[in-house]
Amino acid sequence: MNAIEIRNLTKTFGEKRAVDGLNMTVPQGAIYGFIGENGSGKSTTEKLICGLIQPSGGEIKLWGKDHKDQNVRSQIGVLIEAPGCFPNYTVWNNMKLQAANLGLKNENEEIRRVLHLVRMDGAASNKFKNCSLGMKQRIGIAFALLGNPALLVLDEPINGLDADGMRIMREILTDLSRRGTTVLISSHILGELEKIATHYGIIRGGKMLCEMTAEELNADCPTYVALKADDVNARIVLERAFERVEYDQEHGELRVYGNNRAEEIADFLYKQHGIAVTEIRTAKINLEEYYIDLMREGR
Amino acid sequence: MNANLNNNDFGKRLKSMLKVDFRRMFTTPTVWIMFGVSLALPILILVMTSFVGGQDPETGEAVATFTNVWQAIGSAGGAMSMDLTSMCNINLLYFLAAIFVCVFVGEDFRSGYVKNLFTVRSKKVDYVFSKTVVLFVAAAGMFVVYFIGAMIGGGIAGLSFDVAAGMLLFTMIPMMTPLNSGAFNVILCVAGGPLFAFGLGAVSNVILNKTSLV
Repeated sequence: MNAIEIRNLTKTFGEKRAVDGLNMTVPQGAIYGFIGENGSGKSTTEKLICGLIQPSGGEIKLWGKDHKDQNVRSQIGVLIEAPGCFPNYTVWNNMKLQAANLGLKNENEEIRRVLHLVRMDGAASNKFKNCSLGMKQRIGIAFALLGNPALLVLDEPINGLDADGMRIMREILTDLSRRGTTVLISSHILGELEKIATHYGIIRGGKMLCEMTAEELNADCPTYVALKADDVNARIVLERAFERVEYDQEHGELRVYGNNRAEEIADFLYKQHGIAVTEIRTAKINLEEYYIDLMREGR
Repeated sequence: MNANLNNNDFGKRLKSMLKVDFRRMFTTPTVWIMFGVSLALPILILVMTSFVGGQDPETGEAVATFTNVWQAIGSAGGAMSMDLTSMCNINLLYFLAAIFVCVFVGEDFRSGYVKNLFTVRSKKVDYVFSKTVVLFVAAAGMFVVYFIGAMIGGGIAGLSFDVAAGMLLFTMIPMMTPLNSGAFNVILCVAGGPLFAFGLGAVSNVILNKTSLV
């Protein structure tokens, strides 16, 4: 059974269509990376799923039931934008309120469990307003984890986290997914998302551009030969000989797509044009590059 | 993990929501500030007016504003009357209660806590119902505190306490509503709480359900 099924979802704010006929399927137990530019409709979609805003059209089903069903909603853990905590309350007291809201019986035990999961045991007595941004994000995750929900909806949860925080987050989400919890996570930090996501959905202008599994993405990502040469004419020579050649400014290397034989390219440059290659390797484009390519194609 | 869809009926949800709201109510400084004001107000009014009185328009003689403690509580009729003796009495609790509920609900939205409530299982009708109950409890608390404050103030100012407490309550309860005293009004007032809560709940269910909250 799919944890989330969305059909023809639409949300308009005045004249603007924030979500425009969106279709989306999140399988049970998946870590679903929800990707899109700023303003593409990610957060709006997540708010719609959580019932924070009402759709203008379409339907949202959670485990085959209407998303407004209170019994369904009680199975969701949410972190949208920032955690909703009272700044003058301690972390513990904030969590006590949410535990009461969820109707948990063993409140203290459950709060200790989730704080330990996000490595925030020591921060329970801190006032929320005195916590750092990274701490607040972790507390937000702990909030979402209270009551062991079957679906986690996380909007930019790794923003503000340090390297250790990101690693912890990866571990938590991977572990939860292993136990069958479904995670819908949106993030602009695609390198991190790529490490954990099992499924992807790419949204643009409120419409779903594509949905795919991590395996499908991997198969769809083209390989290329990256090389560095001393001669500035190398690019011109390669562009004449190969269909797609790009210069990667970040790494200062030329990329030749559609030919994975590095030695052949090196020989071609040296023997036919006298251009020496100083570095050469074969590689595959990553999620970030795939996403940027996709966005460029769409323009 | 398949979702374990437990039954979250209105009673369970309301119980949780009330638990949250009462925990918040007694841990938020606002309610204690309001209780403090409710205590200090009658003391200040009674003590100060015992020193600064008015003038009898006919004889021109100095007259104390209050001669009896209970006047400070039930001195005049409706809340719309704007003279000092009608405003500086228990009618002020209307304003304190209104301020309290505004701050209390406002904090939910300002902190974003309301997201936590509505994204899980609470309905908007639960929220309105629970807040209404909290308002009534807080207002009742302020009423009791004001009552105590009036007695302390009366004691300090040396005013008379002559009146039957039962009669006093009978006149005070209608004063807490925009109704004049009378048996029918008292009954309406007592029934008004639940009616108000159900009414607001029903309205919120119809209107707010079609509205985006956050």
